[in-house]
Amino acid sequence: MRSDLAIKLAGHAVYGTDLDRPGMLWAALVPSPVAHGRLRSVDLAPARRLPGVVAIGPDDLAALLPGGGGDADRPIFPSGEVAYRNQPLAAVAAPTLAEARRAAALVRVDVEPLPALVDIETAFPSWPGAEAARSPHVIAHVHARHGDLGEAFRTADRVVEETYRTSSVHQVALEPHACVASFSNDRWHVETSTQSPFGVREDVASLFGVPEETIVVDGTWVGGGFGGKGASLLEPFALLLARAAGRPVRLALDYRQEFELGRTTLPAVIRLATAVKGGRIAGRRVRLLLDVGSSLPGRDFATGYSIGFLLGPYRTPAFEVEGYGVRTNKPPFGPHRAPFAPQCAFALESHLDEVARSVGLDPAAFRAEHLWREGDTTPFAQPVGPFGAEVALERARARAAEWRAAAPPDHGVGIGVGFWSTSTGAGGEARLELTPTELTIVQGEREIGSGSVLRGLVAVAERELGLPADRIRVDYRSTADAPFDSGVFGSRTVGALGRAIVEAAERLERTLAERLGDSGPVRLAVADGELVAVGPTLRRPVRELLTPEEGPKGLVASGRHFAKPNSIDEQRVVTGSFYPYTDFTASVHVAEVAVDRETGAVRVEKYAAFQDIGVVVDRATARAQVEGGVAMGLGIALTEEAVWSDDGRLVNAHLLDYRIPTLGEVPVPEVTFVEGFPGAGPFGAKGLGEPPIIPVPATIAAAVRDAAGAHVTELPLSAERVARALKLL
Amino acid sequence: MTDDAGGVRVNGRAFPLEGMPDDERLLDTLRWRLALKGTKEGCRTGDCGACTVLVDGRSTLSCLTLTREVEGQEVTTIDDAATDPDLGRVRAAFTAAGALQCGYCTPGFVLALAGLLKERGRAAPVEELLDGLQGNLCRCTGYAAIVRAVELAREASP
Repeated sequence: MRSDLAIKLAGHAVYGTDLDRPGMLWAALVPSPVAHGRLRSVDLAPARRLPGVVAIGPDDLAALLPGGGGDADRPIFPSGEVAYRNQPLAAVAAPTLAEARRAAALVRVDVEPLPALVDIETAFPSWPGAEAARSPHVIAHVHARHGDLGEAFRTADRVVEETYRTSSVHQVALEPHACVASFSNDRWHVETSTQSPFGVREDVASLFGVPEETIVVDGTWVGGGFGGKGASLLEPFALLLARAAGRPVRLALDYRQEFELGRTTLPAVIRLATAVKGGRIAGRRVRLLLDVGSSLPGRDFATGYSIGFLLGPYRTPAFEVEGYGVRTNKPPFGPHRAPFAPQCAFALESHLDEVARSVGLDPAAFRAEHLWREGDTTPFAQPVGPFGAEVALERARARAAEWRAAAPPDHGVGIGVGFWSTSTGAGGEARLELTPTELTIVQGEREIGSGSVLRGLVAVAERELGLPADRIRVDYRSTADAPFDSGVFGSRTVGALGRAIVEAAERLERTLAERLGDSGPVRLAVADGELVAVGPTLRRPVRELLTPEEGPKGLVASGRHFAKPNSIDEQRVVTGSFYPYTDFTASVHVAEVAVDRETGAVRVEKYAAFQDIGVVVDRATARAQVEGGVAMGLGIALTEEAVWSDDGRLVNAHLLDYRIPTLGEVPVPEVTFVEGFPGAGPFGAKGLGEPPIIPVPATIAAAVRDAAGAHVTELPLSAERVARALKLL
Repeated sequence: MTDDAGGVRVNGRAFPLEGMPDDERLLDTLRWRLALKGTKEGCRTGDCGACTVLVDGRSTLSCLTLTREVEGQEVTTIDDAATDPDLGRVRAAFTAAGALQCGYCTPGFVLALAGLLKERGRAAPVEELLDGLQGNLCRCTGYAAIVRAVELAREASP
């Protein structure tokens, strides 16, 4: 069982929003009133006249940060161009939140409004055309190709060309961003709700132009991350205010601001053209227009990473992919659980259904024909490793056939395939400390909810060393005391940091074997209340194997894992960066839906997930990841859509209008794990945080098409869109 | 109810509320005046349910309740150290079902379910209990484990 259940059920877990420090000030941000403009002035004087108020704006940065203070790509406060509505132009702190808000409202900002670009399609009325690459709005351009695509299209039996549109979705972690910062003795200190304390440290150090060692980031309990808490957001403002005030400063978003300022997935237009010959895919051309908001850092990531998912885990002999990251007057694009992969899978899988139907083939059989097998190569010439897609698809097809046979006439059954690869991030390290009575895992990731830290890492140590979970403690430390780790993202905690634990455990085992004087592998067990090292022939209490110099920490061993080197064929890359895969993970889902023929409303009746996992490290935690991922995917599929007005205002920055799935709308999914296709993680485990969300929108779209014949090419599949596809509107 | 007129009772203890503004929300009183941070702040607009507490046994959104409205009444929060039997049963059910991940929505779910069980107990069909939890949002679990916890808590109720 997870060790955090009791503390959370007692109400004792302290999240970012719960932080309180003696003498603390409360902060508020001064938002830009327009989506695009030229900043003329920020007058802080009216706010500063209030008692106890500290205010900072663009003109204060030089004094607060002699070494730097943002750059053109990432201004702390903009001094020239204002890039999106609500962009912070200044920040204030006061003894109470009400006073801070009053002070923020008194700050006089003068911004000359400029025309805003909000909808990417308005900038490219005739897209795709060659002019896109020259557009001033395009800030990222990726282009790759392989094979003779011209020949594939010329000689095809059929070419199917379609356009898909995807929506802007928000993470909706129920805990909004929150932190408390302080500054003393030239050291910056921030407690924050984050997926990556070291990531925040790196961000702040580069933004402030200060050495990383002068910054301490201490993670709190995290009320949901889903990608939204992977990088710094509020920390720089809170730290600067704390320095200016000489007191701790708390900065938290209210939920409206959480929607407005959160970094998340923005809309995209995807154009896919596939050539088919003799019932096989001969080639594909992919064009992606991705809204990256006002983002500059990470712009290539968004487009270059996404585009691989539009070729999918399918053999495609010839291809050309071209992606454009379009700068708009919205907040910067940010990751949302499996960044942009569910949207790509929706487009590709729906397209493959259309392609298969166009040549009279069964969509599932068509996929099975083309799925990668171990030994194939990816479009970028990387060898495909063990991949459970075929087995998962076979089981999904069997389940779909059962459901279809029993389904009433207004129901439909669909199948969707998703692909993912465990991220290593920038690598990481973990330390094990073995005392006579327990094993401690010392590391720098905070549990964000998935259980990957408090259950996953424990399960890895449990399996490697043989001792029971109640003798394994996870010790989270701040960046000042923990070994470096990249953070909780990319499904990497068990799959990547878990490998560091295994390496450390192997070192521990070797040392114990030497001291025990036994030749074979040593495991740990519990006897008479203490830990015992057990070899093939000998056994002794750990107590007797420790040396006096080892002290209270006991026997210490460290392990590391590294980022995977790039292994793609650069010959195929024309422009930009593309990404290699660490391992190969498939998620194949089946849904049965009912479609209301008068309103277009979709109800999900049954759901089954077949998950390629390598090896199950902890069944309950793994199942919970799939259940949660399916529900979150249903939101992307059916209801979630952040709506931006033409002047860059987020219209539905509110949980009543931005609808995430509720308890009555999500069926309890059937979860089946496909083992035996090992990944890069410990014991062959594959990362699991993200894969289960990926095929959900595709699966629902396939089921809706099966139920009602509605081929919907735009997310989400709201009642209105389905009704339009059915010509009811 | 008690001799401390003008105060509020939380988890069996009386708290005076001297100098409290009339428009203070129960959520803020609990969290910032009484330092009972177990009750979570989500949306503050009544849409997420994270701040749910019991007022005289009834499930109540503390973000939309003025503290003055509940003067003299008994407020129960997740910080209650297992004196309320329904709360105890729900906690046990959430533990057995593993019905939480990040835990931020959990206090709201636990109190909402405890309130439903107080009203109807085992007599309530599971569907009715689930219906009563529609106002509580969870982003992590997909509700599957919560549904299992509701079934367990119902079975354990008198």
